[in-house]
Amino acid sequence: MHKRRNKTVAFAAAVVSTVLALTACSAGGGGGGTSTEGNTGGTSANGKTVVTFWQQKFEDYQGVWFKKYVDAYNASQDKVSIDYQVIPADTWAQKLQAAQAAGKQPDVATTNYGNIAAGVADGKFAALDDYMPAKSFSDIKDNVASFVTIGGKHYAYPMLVEPSTVLYYNTDLVTAAGLDPKSPPTTWAELIDWSTKLTSGDVKGMTIASTAADLGWSSWGLQYNACGHLPISDDWSKGAATDPCFGKLLDFYKTLYQNNLIPQQPKVGYADGSPYGGGEVAMMAGGSWVIGQLKADFPAMLAKTMVAPFPSIDGDQTKPTATLGGWTLTLDSKAKNPQAAADFIQYLLAGDPAIMADFFKAAGYSKYTVRTSVDEALATDPDASADPFMKIISDKVVAHGKQEPSYPWDVALAFGTAIESAMKGTDTVEGSLSTANNAINDVIQKQSLAGTAPKK
Amino acid sequence: MSEITPTEAIVGQVAGVSLGLSPRKGSTPRVATHLRDNRTAYLMISPMVILLSIFVLWPLIYAIYLSGFQISFYKGAEFVGLKFYQDVLEDPKFWTSLRVGISFAAMVVPAGMIVSLMLASFIKTLSSKLAGFMKVTVYVPAVISTVVASVLFLFMYQDQGVVNWFLSLVNAGPVAWLNNPGTALPAIAVPAIWLGLGITTLIMLAGLLDIPDSYYESAELDGAGFLKRTWYITIPLLKNILLYLFVTGFTGALQMLDLPLVMTNGGPVNATTTPNLFIFNNFRGATPYATSYSLTTALLLFVVLGAISVLVFRLINSDKSVDG
Repeated sequence: MHKRRNKTVAFAAAVVSTVLALTACSAGGGGGGTSTEGNTGGTSANGKTVVTFWQQKFEDYQGVWFKKYVDAYNASQDKVSIDYQVIPADTWAQKLQAAQAAGKQPDVATTNYGNIAAGVADGKFAALDDYMPAKSFSDIKDNVASFVTIGGKHYAYPMLVEPSTVLYYNTDLVTAAGLDPKSPPTTWAELIDWSTKLTSGDVKGMTIASTAADLGWSSWGLQYNACGHLPISDDWSKGAATDPCFGKLLDFYKTLYQNNLIPQQPKVGYADGSPYGGGEVAMMAGGSWVIGQLKADFPAMLAKTMVAPFPSIDGDQTKPTATLGGWTLTLDSKAKNPQAAADFIQYLLAGDPAIMADFFKAAGYSKYTVRTSVDEALATDPDASADPFMKIISDKVVAHGKQEPSYPWDVALAFGTAIESAMKGTDTVEGSLSTANNAINDVIQKQSLAGTAPKK
Repeated sequence: MSEITPTEAIVGQVAGVSLGLSPRKGSTPRVATHLRDNRTAYLMISPMVILLSIFVLWPLIYAIYLSGFQISFYKGAEFVGLKFYQDVLEDPKFWTSLRVGISFAAMVVPAGMIVSLMLASFIKTLSSKLAGFMKVTVYVPAVISTVVASVLFLFMYQDQGVVNWFLSLVNAGPVAWLNNPGTALPAIAVPAIWLGLGITTLIMLAGLLDIPDSYYESAELDGAGFLKRTWYITIPLLKNILLYLFVTGFTGALQMLDLPLVMTNGGPVNATTTPNLFIFNNFRGATPYATSYSLTTALLLFVVLGAISVLVFRLINSDKSVDG
């Protein structure tokens, strides 16, 4: 009797502990969202169609702008509810991957230009032409339309462009060093000369990317500048990193680093302009977005800041020095209510030009429009025309900017690693380029890239 | 004295069960009791077996199955056989990451164990009050998040940080600790040692306190100094503890992700790309190729870690009989 009871207790304990453990393990699913409506079946409890929208976290003002217009859209009608979530940039890729694996991907997401072609090849995005009026696409500027068009269809709606590389310099420090702020450097050799004269004590003359991950993308404009092409053939069939012109680019970065003209141990990445804003460096290579950062966080620095196109290998300022990066909204091909999701994209990015004009105003005119009608709306804004930086960047940098490449990141990283390797002396310039070329050819072969470059 | 204490009763019961003795021997056949006991034992371990099957075994088998495909979350998976294994094994970056992981473990584990042994030996000599205070102090790093420690050390290694300030006292530096391929890995090994110090020291201390004082007393009478006592008494008698700490420390260090991710993002020039960071960075590639590639790399890392563990466990088994 006693024994039987022991066995029963043991069995019950086993069952209970199994059930408890299983429920504990399965209870943690989901989460991370800000909405209480969920998205099962794309319909909320109150009968509204739910469209999930994930925005990668950018500057704070962008979050405010997105929330303002998502709320306005939700309030403007009672059929669709936008479930808006902000995802930190450093967790974006893995969170999106995990959501896609679980079939819980967002209907609408922020996507940069460089990821559109690969996404289309993988069937991730739906063509917007099927859901949005044709006039929305004719409003997009011609050069940007090509960024989102593959095989004649638009797979993303562009939001903005921002050049990756602009030269910022502190006029006070430049004048104090006996240099003329009205004649900024136009060649790499002049830039090195300026950097040398401006390096004094703890203040470095210059800052530019110095890690492979940052160099991989921020040097695209200068790769075009040095060689007129990227380190891969146009049809992605073989590496082209060993062209001697790339050697000059690596020498340029190497001189800046090894002569101690840039911070040896930068506190932040390339995209962050705070070392310049904080006065730790006299000049900076940075994206146009840094203007927004200076306006928001370092207003005292604005009066003594001038911008110029980044110097060119030979002084020709019509050669590209920057790629035009930027963000779009894409519609997921598995969206449960694609029309409702596309309607939201139409409202936010392609509808009333005043909405996007409000965005560029909030951005401090540090980003550039992609629609003719938004340009017209901004033309009447006195703040926009009075901005000291906007015209220079628009006319001298954006005008010569190139589209970001859409090849796999491994190719860009291989070249970024080559620059870093030369800068930090782990290999010679030739050796670094040769290693990068082998790595690029390896990627081409393993990922069967030959002939897969997207056709417009 | 005829009363049986609860502890004695439990000990008696356990001994009876383990010897296969029934309290009412003879009332049921001996073999049947065995079977019943086995059944109870299986029942007791079944929750863990079921959980392990669901959360470890099945995912592992499924992962091995998936590694034969190029997985796409939007298009059908494409069967590619062992292509990804070949791709990973041919990738110099995979081997570099393994070398980085092993170098990192080789810096962290022995250094951590030596410092811990010294600290534990020191704490052992203190009065109980002071020892309590020291134990808490030494354990503090163990409860600090790795990310917090990473940020803390990131500041310490800056050009104007405390480490370079010390160097400036002797007119040296500043050294770009985290941006120099030669110093980056040792620089992230230091916080790893610091973080692991608490638990290692406490385990060592427990081992030290288990060694009878009489051994040391007789050695002292024979004129043995501290080093000789440590070499001939402490280390041999701590052998099993040292081996345990070595295995767990080595596999833990080889799997390090957070420190290089936060402090260097694997740079400069891949000098701190540990195997797990290599897998993580590949997973973030967000292409079907990158997804399958990272999965296969993870499986191969599992094989490497398994091989190292098997090797060291065999070592432990061979010394099983060594006991204080």
